[in-house]
Amino acid sequence: MKKLDKQTLMGIRDQFGSYAWEDAEISELVDPRLGIITGFQELLDQLEVLRKVDLEATPPAGDISSK
Amino acid sequence: MSTPLAFAPITEINLRFRNGDLGANELVNLYTDRIERFGEISKAFISLDTKSALSKAEIIDESFNDDLPLNGIPYACKDLFDVKGLPTTAGSQVLQDNVAQQDATAIKCMNRAGAIYIGKNNLHEFAYGATGENTLYGTPPNPYDPSRLAGGSSSGSAAAVGFGLCAAALGTDTGGSVRAPASLCGLVGFKPTYGRISTEGVIPYSWTLDHVGTLTRSAADARLVFESLRFEPQPSAQTDLHNLTIGIPESFFFERCDREILDSIDALMNFLRHTGANLKPAFMPSMEYTRSVSLTVQMPEALSYHNRYLEQRGHLYSQDFRAGLALGQCLLAEQYIRAKRFIETYRNDMDRVFAEVDVILTPATPVIAPKIGVVEVTVDGYTEPAGNAITRYTSFFNMTGHPAITLPCGMHSEGLPIAVQLVGKHFGDEQLIDIAQLVESGYDFKLPLPDLG
Repeated sequence: MKKLDKQTLMGIRDQFGSYAWEDAEISELVDPRLGIITGFQELLDQLEVLRKVDLEATPPAGDISSK
Repeated sequence: MSTPLAFAPITEINLRFRNGDLGANELVNLYTDRIERFGEISKAFISLDTKSALSKAEIIDESFNDDLPLNGIPYACKDLFDVKGLPTTAGSQVLQDNVAQQDATAIKCMNRAGAIYIGKNNLHEFAYGATGENTLYGTPPNPYDPSRLAGGSSSGSAAAVGFGLCAAALGTDTGGSVRAPASLCGLVGFKPTYGRISTEGVIPYSWTLDHVGTLTRSAADARLVFESLRFEPQPSAQTDLHNLTIGIPESFFFERCDREILDSIDALMNFLRHTGANLKPAFMPSMEYTRSVSLTVQMPEALSYHNRYLEQRGHLYSQDFRAGLALGQCLLAEQYIRAKRFIETYRNDMDRVFAEVDVILTPATPVIAPKIGVVEVTVDGYTEPAGNAITRYTSFFNMTGHPAITLPCGMHSEGLPIAVQLVGKHFGDEQLIDIAQLVESGYDFKLPLPDLG
């Protein structure tokens, strides 16, 4: 997977019907300086690892049943 | 020697009410005086309603009803809970003009139990963050050391109880936002099974991870408040420590943890062994990606809620929360769904763990309260953001939805409380509180009161 770049996120913002995030905020996702919980690139790298795990037919978590 | 009234648990206050030694009016006045004295220092409150509280106290005193579990007990709530006719700001400029049209269900329950609402607590803006920092209302300090954090996001709720400004507080817990600040401030933090307390009328952060929780001075108090808030009661099996099987996670939950915290937890485990409890290893699912899974659920859900305000009021959000929401915008739908599927696997794995044990025991936090303004903390050579560290041992159980309670079990040489976390089975909330009460009453540890000068 290629490293995330600002142009990709600006494309999401401008072409995906997204809220109009400021350029500086888009930059923050690519090069975090504010101490967001996890850097976005690091998060994407981890999600890429998880994408390769076969979850078989496991459904998304729903409400918790008392049974 | 009895506890000073401002720091007395609800159980003790109830006894004094019933003995006629104390009236609700006197108690509300005591807290009101203390709020005048410590309100500014503690930064615990965003708004107060002491006039209504005094009126209600007078009515209660005229004809005291012993049957109500919280009759005359003054409490506060995180400023995410709607109280009819009063502002709910979520600690944000965005909602400065937001006046609630009706009470949140949890507030209705507290009213029904006789509790007296006194005010709304400060918080990390919209509950986004575990440090409790708030640029608009200030950062609540720790009652044991004002140079340190109370912790968050229910920071003001912890400070309010910790500084002796009310008897109990309601908070919300999406990754540890009740349990972590309670632990750092020497209180009992309780997060029930997901869904057992209504979140209706509470501003959401992340619907599928949010839990309403309680901050109290004891496990017995947590029981009283929980029983007033819960949906249907669940049967609680007869519990004693002698027959208890306690799971001790083999990995992650005892790693990268302050040495003195580990020593305190070891001492508690020794006590439990001596009582006859069976402590055995618990083989938990891999925790390697759990924070990422949680974040992948949190941020799109948060964005989805806040989308209603962004167009008109987006400029009023704090910079860091906006950045978090922007992150939520850039995740793919399949990544969100996959994260939810991982959560289902965590739940299935935990079902297998709980087939072998009654409860799981972990430290509540790997660190004591960090200094205010500190961005990162380092333990065992591993550096991470302070907010991540504070919630490192708690956030997993928001995903799995298990009930969890934290209670003080030691005092660090730096003068700050240390806490243990006990995690129970789904809908085993009542039994979990039973166990916490047994530990609380049996373990020879008494937390000193904070020296507030």
